[in-house]
Amino acid sequence: MVIYLPIAELSVNMFIIFGMGGAVGFLSGLFGVGGGFLLTPLLIFSGIPPVVSVATVATQIAASSSSAALSYWRRRMIDMKLAVVLMIAGAIGTLLGVVVFNALRQLGQLDLIVSISYVTFLGLIGGLMLSESVRSIINARRGRPAPLRRPGQHSWIHGLPFKMRFKRSKLYVSVIPVIVLGVCIGFLGALLGIGGGFILVPALIYLLRVPTNVVIGTSLIQIVATMSVATMLHAVSSRSVDIVLAVILMVGGVIGAQFGARVGQNIRGDHLRALLALLVLAVGARFLVGLVTPPAERYSLTVLTGGGL
Amino acid sequence: MRGAAIFLAALLVLTGRAEAERLTISLSTSEIMVDSTFTGDTVTLFGVIERDASTISRATGYQIVVVLRGPPETVVARRKDPIALVWVNNASETLVGAPSFYALNTSGELSEVSNGPLLSRYEIGFDNIQFTYENRAVANDPAAAEFRHAFVRLKEKEGLYTERPAAVSFIGATDNVFQSGMWIPANAPDGRYTVEVFLFSGNVLLAREEGELNITKVGLEQVMYAAASDHAALYGLACVVLALLAGWLGGVVFRRD
Repeated sequence: MVIYLPIAELSVNMFIIFGMGGAVGFLSGLFGVGGGFLLTPLLIFSGIPPVVSVATVATQIAASSSSAALSYWRRRMIDMKLAVVLMIAGAIGTLLGVVVFNALRQLGQLDLIVSISYVTFLGLIGGLMLSESVRSIINARRGRPAPLRRPGQHSWIHGLPFKMRFKRSKLYVSVIPVIVLGVCIGFLGALLGIGGGFILVPALIYLLRVPTNVVIGTSLIQIVATMSVATMLHAVSSRSVDIVLAVILMVGGVIGAQFGARVGQNIRGDHLRALLALLVLAVGARFLVGLVTPPAERYSLTVLTGGGL
Repeated sequence: MRGAAIFLAALLVLTGRAEAERLTISLSTSEIMVDSTFTGDTVTLFGVIERDASTISRATGYQIVVVLRGPPETVVARRKDPIALVWVNNASETLVGAPSFYALNTSGELSEVSNGPLLSRYEIGFDNIQFTYENRAVANDPAAAEFRHAFVRLKEKEGLYTERPAAVSFIGATDNVFQSGMWIPANAPDGRYTVEVFLFSGNVLLAREEGELNITKVGLEQVMYAAASDHAALYGLACVVLALLAGWLGGVVFRRD
């Protein structure tokens, strides 16, 4: 069934988009990630303009994250104070991200920067995840117990000023790293159409030592907030949020995530992480290929005013 | 006295014109409604070349040119170049007020219709469209020709620019009643289109007539498009509320705890 996307201004097969939402939802349920870093590239590769893809995925992530955040909220697995600080910082970062997004769009370099950022981030994170999970798989094969992480009790981060007490996380840390983290995630989220959970969660655990039982719920709250702000700002500044596309992706995503979560319970954690790492690397490689292969069409047109607008 | 002289002169011109041909045109529709199921439509132009007893007979036959132009748009044409292994949007030109749609139907090859200066004056044919560039004082500046050609080529690829010789035909055995079908593709931008009809004979322009066609987007998609551009903040808010509502609903429906 062909459906017309009013903002992307093109007709797409509804079931293909629905399938993409479902597949990414399945993977996000399977791996416990938001899936923005897979969904945005998938939409771009399928011909939806990067501007619309990035802005619309922000809306989709707001929906899927709020669904998951609700379940953590019911179980009281959220540090609200930490979440509020992250949210405020995240909103500032999102604003910066949208400003940069629109500036790049005007220069005609948005697609390039988005591609380069994806290659860098996905390559880096995929590589780290792969080496970590392969090491863990090898250890398990040899019958060795996984080396227990014993991070130093105090790193340089804990020596920074402006300390704040986060009771729920049993933390007394400087707000500077919290704010920097929030701003960075908000910035990347608005620019690249990702929730940023796959960066935020490890950062909260390893840098700030947030207990694992509250880390996911807290990061989800932050993602809901920044993606809502991103949706709002993209809608006002670049008018590129496609509500029809967002709804199809949401429905597919919510359904897919349920199946993914069920399947995920039957697969070993290190195998799951290795699979996710390979997937992340594959998406990054696809962007790299797109950057270096000579384009079929060297010229492109962008309508600024008039005509169909 | 002076007023009377001007009136007399005008009258002379008018009566003088009565000896030449006059064009009367009509479009099969003056408005096209585009909804989400729109896959393109043909608009037919009908025309009559009116003559009277005093009209001199032409040794050469009539040639008809029909130009349908879409609303003007400002477009950036960009060229990708390889820079440090990566293909980057490098050079660009901004075309100001270029026709978003341009369909040329003629009764014969353009070279048979008229000579260069007339075609160029009335912007008949892709090569005669006057392109204005931002930051370039001269229209059709040859330095920007590369981008102009790319623009026309990409527009042709989208089906928005067409040149069709022999697409105007005289009806039956007449030599003064003609018709021409113009294809409006699904991706035609909406707005006010102008149709210009030129009557040529032996390289001479005998008459020119104008008409108008409106392409209007309708339906739910149009409502959403208008909302996104006219009430951006409300639209954004609606998207956020919808997302949170969908998330909440998903959480309730698939509750696992």
